Amino acid sequence: MEITRESLRVFNAARAANRHLSLIGLALFATLLLAACATRGDDYPTSAGSPAFLPGKVVTQQGREAADLYLPIFIIAVVVFVLIEGILLFVALRFRRKRGDDTLPGQRHGNNVLELLWTGIPAVIVGVLFVVSTGVLLKVDAIAPNPAVTVDVTGFQWQWTFDYKDQGLSFTGAGKDGPEMVVPVDETIHIRLHSVDVIHSFYVPQFFRKLDVVPGRINEFQVNVEQEGTFGGQCAEFCGLAHADMYFTVRAVDRATFDQWVTDEQLKAAATPQPAPSGGPTAAKLQVSAVNKLAFEQATLRAPADVPLTIEFQNLDPVNPHNVSIKAGQPDGKDWIGLPIAKAGQVAVYQAPALPAGEYGYYCSVHPNMTGTLTVQ
Amino acid sequence: MASTPLPPAQSYRRAAVYDWITTVDHKKIGIMYVVSSFVFFLIGGLLALVIRTELAAPGLQFVSEATYNSIFGLHAINMIFLFVMPMLTGLGNYIVPLQVGAADMAFPRVNALSFWVFITGGLLIESSFLFGGAPVGWTMYAPLSTQAPETGVNLLVLGLIMTGISSILGAINFLVTLFRLRAPGMGLLRMPMFCWTQLVTSVLLLFSIPVVTAGLIMIFIDRNYGGGFFEPSLGGNPILWQHVFWFFGHPEVYILILPAFGIVSEIIPVFSRKPLFGYRAFVIATASIGALGFTVWAHHMFTTGAVYLPFFSFFTFLIAVPTGIKFFNWLATMWGGKLTFDTPMLYACGFIALFLIGGLDGAFLAVVPFDFMVQDTYWVVSHIHYVLVAGSLFAILAALFYWFPKMSGRKLDERLGKAQFWLLFVGTNVTFFPQHMLGLDGMIRRIADYSANAGWTELNFTSSVGAFMIAGAVLMFMWNVFATMRGPADAGDDPWDANTLEWATTSPPPVYNFDHLPPVRSERPLFDLKHRDDGHAPVAAISLSVTEGPVQ
Repeated sequence: MEITRESLRVFNAARAANRHLSLIGLALFATLLLAACATRGDDYPTSAGSPAFLPGKVVTQQGREAADLYLPIFIIAVVVFVLIEGILLFVALRFRRKRGDDTLPGQRHGNNVLELLWTGIPAVIVGVLFVVSTGVLLKVDAIAPNPAVTVDVTGFQWQWTFDYKDQGLSFTGAGKDGPEMVVPVDETIHIRLHSVDVIHSFYVPQFFRKLDVVPGRINEFQVNVEQEGTFGGQCAEFCGLAHADMYFTVRAVDRATFDQWVTDEQLKAAATPQPAPSGGPTAAKLQVSAVNKLAFEQATLRAPADVPLTIEFQNLDPVNPHNVSIKAGQPDGKDWIGLPIAKAGQVAVYQAPALPAGEYGYYCSVHPNMTGTLTVQ
Repeated sequence: MASTPLPPAQSYRRAAVYDWITTVDHKKIGIMYVVSSFVFFLIGGLLALVIRTELAAPGLQFVSEATYNSIFGLHAINMIFLFVMPMLTGLGNYIVPLQVGAADMAFPRVNALSFWVFITGGLLIESSFLFGGAPVGWTMYAPLSTQAPETGVNLLVLGLIMTGISSILGAINFLVTLFRLRAPGMGLLRMPMFCWTQLVTSVLLLFSIPVVTAGLIMIFIDRNYGGGFFEPSLGGNPILWQHVFWFFGHPEVYILILPAFGIVSEIIPVFSRKPLFGYRAFVIATASIGALGFTVWAHHMFTTGAVYLPFFSFFTFLIAVPTGIKFFNWLATMWGGKLTFDTPMLYACGFIALFLIGGLDGAFLAVVPFDFMVQDTYWVVSHIHYVLVAGSLFAILAALFYWFPKMSGRKLDERLGKAQFWLLFVGTNVTFFPQHMLGLDGMIRRIADYSANAGWTELNFTSSVGAFMIAGAVLMFMWNVFATMRGPADAGDDPWDANTLEWATTSPPPVYNFDHLPPVRSERPLFDLKHRDDGHAPVAAISLSVTEGPVQ
């Protein structure tokens, strides 16, 4: 244990040095950074710290068990690496053929004792590693009988839905940030994974694990989050066009905050069943529809300028959820996202803010490939 | 050395192109494999540069997500199915009959057929670019692959079925050649190690390719006729495809690396002037890697939640042991030798130095709870590239430098070759080492973009710089080949003072290879011939030898 802690200190120093290097690099590539215009997952990137030789911050009890395995294996790997590269370098320097030396070296064909040794020792090492890692695996994959909170996660192209069935809450992500999962700390969270289309993977780097979201089966795992905070997550199994944009976040809070959050969300859900299709007499009305996830039925729309818009969206697709979102459609220049997302076969009515004259792009925030042009004049 | 007088020139001349297209000579077919797979390598390399250029900075600057999603899969398909596999087949085609002292492959016409089937498959795969691409990754996971509307995916599947048929035909041909056409005196345990690895590889191909071919046909039926093999809405099981794919896909890893082990095991003894240390242990290790290769496939599926984890973890750990044996045997071969570092030897040593990293990564990945973290991240991307670039590509370059004099009669330029080695050595590490750290930090693979706030920008930029260094090394190699081919064919029959039979004939060899064969009393017949007075051939081997060919 002490040895581990001491080595950790050494490696943390190495990580710090690494970070300094990163800073130099940052300065070097500042121009590039400025040129880049990334907009996604920025608030809570799916990063576990800064990239280094050791795992970054791990916030769950199960993840910590797994991450603790890393250092001993890393040390074994470094020892083997140094040994082999050392022998290779030594041999390459020591046994060079001298110029003009045409004699043959000793022709040794083998040595049974040596060969048994270098078969046996690695076999013992990997045997021990197998026993230790399987022990940890059983802990990481353990399922406790009475979890405090159960969240049903549904992955679909290209968003997530988090259902709290016991609390009667449901959140579907819209836009690049995706939905937020709120969980209490230090309690067992049970996560069940469902897919409605292709294979996805539920991955939070700071949980130090992922689990695939497979259509036709329900995968389950449990975590006990040990720290408060917000942690980025992302789909880790390639799932088609907007795979790179399938973000979500997990926010861990204390029990009281969690209970308050549940109450607030339940009230909110009860207060706004569906936005009323009023819009007032001054609002302009637009109609949009879609029958599949390839495109909207309307490639272009027209609307008057400086008038609030009522968008009636008919989702005629029998399988996929969709919505209508407008690029730079908010007064502050951010995208306006149509909420709630219309489930398969449903109609949603959105109230969009008034837009100054110009050309706007609209898209489905679930399927960024579904796009159209909105001309406001 | 044996010099074979060619028969008098034929009274009629056919066009050279017609001659190459209709040839059944294993050497010409081998060269066609090598050249065409190198062209596919250039295509795959260009795709890799597109990937690294896009990832050099966060944001989408160069290609769209839709384009990117086709490119990473086709990069892998090009490199695995159209470069490394046919390149190793091509080298085997040229070298194996020569090393066993045969006049040709066992079935020369089948040999030509498998080459042209491979070319057809390759063209089908490349044509998917023109029909919407194939945004399904090289693993083609169902139901994404069964639902993708692009016609390009159909072409990809058909092309892979064709290259699979080519591989099956080639594997049968190699096996019959190795079992039936060995020179008198060459028992199985006197076969050169490259032939042994080709033998085990052929067995792996024969058992694994039919499985994935069946799976690909099911994908094709699912896509086009609603088959419901892997489509859950029709009662199919998407996990079944992963089992089928990886039951092929893991032996495939050894198909890509065992001949590379063979190449390194040919080169190191020659440039150390010693026999391969522990030849029998090496044969046993190769065979057991082949056998264990069929027991570990589901370690690619640890995160599906649908496999029995300890079983596959255990065998994944176990397969590290025979791989480790090879490292020690190579080092022991060099120990006490008289080493010269010509370019083939440099590449062989580079292989040992860097493949080691890929191998150690493999031991990490056998730890299931750690695999949960890094599966589908850049950590795994780094691992496969340390295996396939530092492993297969380095060995292929070692082989090309080593056997180029045999194939063309010319030695590639050594100074250019060494400079290229060091550029590639540095470039490989600059490209792929940072990806370990990115993956451990949570950067997933198969994404066209990442957050600027994740702290991944500098390492990705570094990795992209490395990719262009690798591209520079490839250009140097092409220039080297071009310049060398303009020079005179003055390499001689045996420029490396080598051990095996391919060096006992002219460079390049005549149509049926040999008119005299030296006697085969050990795995180093040419060494025995050159040093018979020194008594270095194993005594037991000589006394047991019953057949003896004519001696010059």
